[in-house]
Order: sequence, then structure tokens, then C-alpha cells
Amino acid sequence: MFLVIFLYIAFLAFIGFSLKKAYDFAKMPMHGRWELYPVPKEKGRGEYGGSYLEETKWYEKPRETSLVAEIIDMAKEIIFIKKLFDNQRPFWWLSYSMHLGIYAMIAWLVLLFLAVFIDSSLLNGLIALAGGAGIIMVMIGSIGLLIKRMVNPEFKMYTTGLEYFNLFFLFAVAFTGFLCFITDPMFQYGHDMMGSMLTFFPFAPSALVTLHLVLAGAVIIYIPLTKMSHYVGKFFSFHKVLWDNDPYLPGNEIAEKVAAGKSYKQKGQWSAPHYPGNQKIEN
Amino acid sequence: MSKPQDVQLSTPNLADYMELPAPYNTIESQPALKEPKGSWTESNITFLDGYAGIENLVRPKTKEEEREFVEKFLSGMEKSFSDDTNRGMIMPLLLSFEYCAKCHTCSEGCHVYPASGYNELYRPIYRSEVFRRIAKKYLDKDGKLIKKWDENDPDLNWETLARLAELAYRCNLCRRCAQQCPLGLDNALLAKEIRKIFSQEMGIAPKPLHEKGTMNQLKTGSSTGMSKPAFLDVIEFIEEDIEEKTGRKIKMPIDKKGADILLIHNAGEFMAWPQNPAAFAILFEEAGLDWTLSSDILGYDSVNYGLWYDDYQAKQIGTGQFKVAKELGVNRIIIGECGHAHRASMVSMDRGATGSYYVPRESFLPLLWDLVRTGKLKFDPSKNNFPVTLHDPCNYVRSMGIVKPQREILKVIAPQFREMTPHGVDNYCCGGGGGFAIMNNLNFAEFRNTLSTRMKFKQILDAFADTIENTEIPKYICAPCSNCKGAIRDILEYYGATAKYNLQYDGLVELMVNGLASLDRPYLEFLLDEED
Repeated sequence: MFLVIFLYIAFLAFIGFSLKKAYDFAKMPMHGRWELYPVPKEKGRGEYGGSYLEETKWYEKPRETSLVAEIIDMAKEIIFIKKLFDNQRPFWWLSYSMHLGIYAMIAWLVLLFLAVFIDSSLLNGLIALAGGAGIIMVMIGSIGLLIKRMVNPEFKMYTTGLEYFNLFFLFAVAFTGFLCFITDPMFQYGHDMMGSMLTFFPFAPSALVTLHLVLAGAVIIYIPLTKMSHYVGKFFSFHKVLWDNDPYLPGNEIAEKVAAGKSYKQKGQWSAPHYPGNQKIEN
Repeated sequence: MSKPQDVQLSTPNLADYMELPAPYNTIESQPALKEPKGSWTESNITFLDGYAGIENLVRPKTKEEEREFVEKFLSGMEKSFSDDTNRGMIMPLLLSFEYCAKCHTCSEGCHVYPASGYNELYRPIYRSEVFRRIAKKYLDKDGKLIKKWDENDPDLNWETLARLAELAYRCNLCRRCAQQCPLGLDNALLAKEIRKIFSQEMGIAPKPLHEKGTMNQLKTGSSTGMSKPAFLDVIEFIEEDIEEKTGRKIKMPIDKKGADILLIHNAGEFMAWPQNPAAFAILFEEAGLDWTLSSDILGYDSVNYGLWYDDYQAKQIGTGQFKVAKELGVNRIIIGECGHAHRASMVSMDRGATGSYYVPRESFLPLLWDLVRTGKLKFDPSKNNFPVTLHDPCNYVRSMGIVKPQREILKVIAPQFREMTPHGVDNYCCGGGGGFAIMNNLNFAEFRNTLSTRMKFKQILDAFADTIENTEIPKYICAPCSNCKGAIRDILEYYGATAKYNLQYDGLVELMVNGLASLDRPYLEFLLDEED
């Protein structure tokens, strides 16, 4: 039962810490414009990197944006990690293996949840496929990245101890999961775990499964506390910085935010001599 | 980075650099590199890579001075991570600071790093990582300073910071690396934030940007030091020049209250390329626009160097420029051929210096394309019947999304127009971005001419590969940005490419005027020379 409670805590911690991170970014002051093209939402222009600034008197014309184009671009990035695929193929194979494996493990959890309510051999087959493929891909991806970072001087030079640990942690979860998978290819332990989580009926996992689930729970708590929470950061980097090209127009939402921001009284000051009041008096 | 100052981390060597295309594909065909002057090595920071660009970054004489220097940097770093003192950039900074996965996707996006033969110092994340490691050591997770400098810290001393300061000026801030980052992170932003700490906290910045740049502009009205009387003289000279070159008597409107357009040029054009403001005047008059120039302080120079190194200076200048337009009562500001001025005025200052000073700002490019498209300007493209390529200023394309108008114009006026590879939003920086074009101090120009502009020079040579050896044919590099034009001028001079291979450069408006159907003689100097 402790394991079930721990897993609940892990999921709640994951959601809570991730939301806290998102909240911390969201409440930051409105920043200066720092957009970077192509901005996919620019209707009819996103593909070649154009913007509304290509128009004369753009401020008198209606803004035309395309949510569909933005979603397609986001989907390519989320599903395929497209920028990495286009620009850094050797690294993409390993990174994509790991990320796709994580997606498969999320799908595995959803399928296990459905299996509590639906008794279907197809569903059970899909659970085995998603779980097996997911765990193998995470394992290959994480150990591959770990080795690459350890042996390739280009990567080794920039990788910190914590970054090695993060990859090792993911590998440890995947490896114990893999050992569970080869002893239980249909993931009976997964069914039992999900059943127990929904009914609070105790289940008795083996020592290996217990170890795997404890590690998995720990990594789920750990991820949002580290830079592996880039699923949060990436949203803000793209949506709130690189694709945020909304202009100031008198009376619009940006103008209201700018006006609101002006009431802020700065407490500190930079110290260079060209700041007012910082000039040194020469004797 | 913390190695003693008698250790230079890398030595410039042409043999290591990216190979240039023919006819510059041998080391002998390129000018030899020069040793830095002894005085620079002694007083300045050539111990990063043999180059120095910051005059007032000088060695502390005592241990106390070193302590003061390092602690000031740390205090500036704390201000950089504060949502009180860095409100306008805290979110972008934290994102780029926190999430780098070190996948090196950015490395190939950079032009300096491959051009250097993959010198580690120039890898986009190298400086970011040095900065990151110092910050992680001395700041807590909320960005608060957690300890004072430890003199025995093996990683942080005067040498580390001096190298970091110079290294912040080895990035053109072109943001091509950020375009490729799968996490949307921006090493150019980190380079700029490092520059900001040195400038805003320590008063350390390259003289051409700060003392002779923004400070001079705030004092005299222009980064060139041009005062109002001097500006009025120049305008008179340009009017005479227009008449001499075209036979047209044009009175350039100055301080015309209530005009539709306030046109602001990079004042460098008045000094170095007066044919550019002249070309604007010819086109605007021919199209019958209601326009004016301003002779007010900050009204006749669109530049805003603060964009590259100091937010405070940027805001001062931006606000001043908007105020001029507001007082003139114009409907809109049109920015002439200057990439960073475009971005400063239309994007960077948009949320910081507008408010009560709000005046709509536009690029000259869509305006001119409108005049071409609607037939208000008529052309005889045969007048421009020579190979033309277009350099895309990063600020227009990557930072503003102005990609099509300039190409549409060129397709109409230049029958032999050909693109560089890559181009548009994927272009490479001219190598003069981020302030480099005007940094001719110490021995920095050699870094620019050999390394930061190298990729652009390669692109230019590739674009004209079919005619490069034919010196009879002029080959025109259209660089519609004052700083890019300056960087390209310097490459052509450095390699002797105009004299040897008839490689010519100028802006877009000069090419447009040259192609005007109504003009009975060439406008471009090199065509006049040919006629002679």
C-alpha cells in the first residue's frame, strides 16, 4: 500500500512542481520583444519567415494569425523533435529514442488505466507493445546519451556531474523496467499496480518490481525539479518569447500591460557611471 | 579561462580557418595576419585569442583592484538575474540560462565557429557555459548572491572575467543559433546579457559603442558626432550632389511639421555614403510622398547601439527619437537602410519606450515595394543588367520577419538577381552585426575581416562564382543596411576584391535610382567610371 501511496505522491508532485514552475515563469514581468522568425502563426508568411511588418501601415490593418499553423509546427517539434532531426541528426537518434520511449510509457499508463475497465486482448497486446517498446527505447536512449557524453570529447567537455546523474537515473529506471519486462512480458505487474491505484486494494509486487516502481516514482518527482522540466521551459521559450510578436498599439492588451508595468518602482540600480546619480565627482 | 594572463588560449591562424572559394582559396591569396601590438598585449586583453576590442578592460594593478573588479561583476550578475533590475529580459534570460541540453545543435548554426575551423572558444555555448558555471557557483536558485568571491577559486579570477568580456564580443548576436535550438534557447541573448553586466554595472564597453557611440549620440545628436549645423551642411551638399548627378533640383524637407513621414537615416550614411540619403530623396520625390527629415537632436540619426550592450542607453535613445517624431506631428516614422535601427525602433523599444511617445514605425522596404508594385516608380531594368546578389541583414529577416519586399523589388529592377545560399530568414550575418562593423579599435578589425565576415565573404564569392574572374563585369552586392554595408565594404577592401574582381557594393535604394526609367544617366559610381 505504501508503494501505491508513494506513486500517487509522485504523480501529484510531478504535476504540482511542473505547475509551480510554469506559474513562476507566467508571473514574471512582461519582457521586451525578443521574437525570432520564422514565427509559424504569421498567416501566409510563417513558412518563409515573414511577418506583418512586411506591410506598409501594418498598424492600421487587422492582424492575421493562424492557430492551425502554430499547432502544426508545435506538433512537429513535440512529436518528432524536428529541429534536432534537421540540424543534429547523430544526436537525434538517441534523444528521440529516449523521448519516444517516454511517450510510449505515458501511453502505457493510459492503456493500463483503460484496461481496468475494458477487458480486451487487443488492449493487453497494446500494453505489452507500448510498455516493452517504451522501456527499451528509454533504456537505449539514456545509456546511448550517457556513453556519448562520456566518450565524445565535444560533449564530455560541457557535461556536468549532475547531467551524467540525470541520464544515469533515467537509465536505472529503464533498466530495472526492462528486467521486469523480460520476466513479465505482458506487464501483469502493471495491471496489478493500476488496479491497486484505483481501488486501493493492496498488491504484492516482487522485489524487482518494487525497486523499479520506487525508482520510477523518484524520477517522476525529480524531473520537474531539474532542467529535465524543459517541457515547461520550451512552452515559454517558444510561445512567450520567440513567437511573441504582438505589437504595442494604443488601447490594445499590450498597451494596457505596458501602462500597468510603468507603475512599478524599481528598487535597485545598476552601478555604471553613466546611470543618473552614479557619476563620480572629480576633485 | 582562468589561466594566467601570459597564456593566450588560441592563436589566429589562417591555415585553421574555413577555406574560402576561388580566387581566395589559398592562404597566399589572403592578407597575412598581423601580430598584436605589444602595448595591447600588455594593457589589454589579447590573451583570449590574440584580439582585443574593449579599451577600458584593463588589468587591475593590485589584488584589491582585482577583488573589486570580480565582486562588481558578481553584483552585476545578481542584478541581471533580478526581476527588479532586469525586468525587461528576466524571462528570456532565465529560459536560455536554465534549460540548455548541450546538444550542440546551435554550433553549426553559427557562422564564426565553423569559419574559425571549429575553434572551441567560438562555439556558441562556450561563453554561455562559462557564464552559467560562474552563476551556478555564486548565485542561489533565486538569483541571489550567496557568497563573496574566494580569491583561491580556481575558476574565477580577473583573467576569467576579462576573457569572458572579450568573448561576449566574439558573437555577432545574429541569433542564427537560436533558430536551430530545439528548446528555443538563445546564446546571443546570453552574450548580450554578459555585455550588459560589464557595461551597466562596471562601465566597461568598447569605445566605439559606448563613449563614441551612445554617449556621443545623447550629447551631440548622432553617434558620428554630427551636430545640427553639420547635419544641415551635409544636406546642402547632398542636394548639390543630386543636382550634379541627376540634373534634378531637390530640396530635402527638414523639420516639416505635420508631414506624413519622418524619414530617419543611420547618420553614418550622411558621412560615408551620402548617395544613400540622396537616393531616398530622389525616390520619395519622384513618388510624391509627403516626407521630412528632422534636424532635432536624436532626430537625424536612427542608430541605437544600446541594443547590443546596454538597455538603459537603448531606452534613452529610443525615447528621444520617438519624442522628436511626436513633436513634429508626423503620422509615422520610416526607418532608412539600417538593420539594427529597424529592430531597435520597431521591436525592441516597442514595449519600453512607447507609451505617451507612441508613433507608428515602419520599414522603408514595404513602402518602397508598394511604390514599385503600384507603378508610382517606373524602372528600366536593363540599366541594372549585371549580376546582383542580396545580403539579408539579420535584423530585417530573423528578428523582424521582413523577407519578401526586398526580393520583390530586386526581381523587378535587377534582371541578373541571384540569391545567396542560404538566404532570407536562414541567412548568415555579414559579420558586422552586434556592433562589430564599427569596432575598428585596437586590433579588432582583423578579427572581423578574417573571421566574423568569413562566411559572408564565402557566400558572396559563391553567388558570383560564374563571373568572378571576369573583371569586365561588375558584380553588385546589395546590402540594404548601413552596418552590413560597412562590414562588406571592409571585406572588399581587406581582400582587394573590388580592384581585383570588380566586386561592388551599396544599398538597395542606390540600385533602384540607377534603374529609374526617368533618369538619363547612371547613378552608381562604378558605372560612371565605366562610361568614362
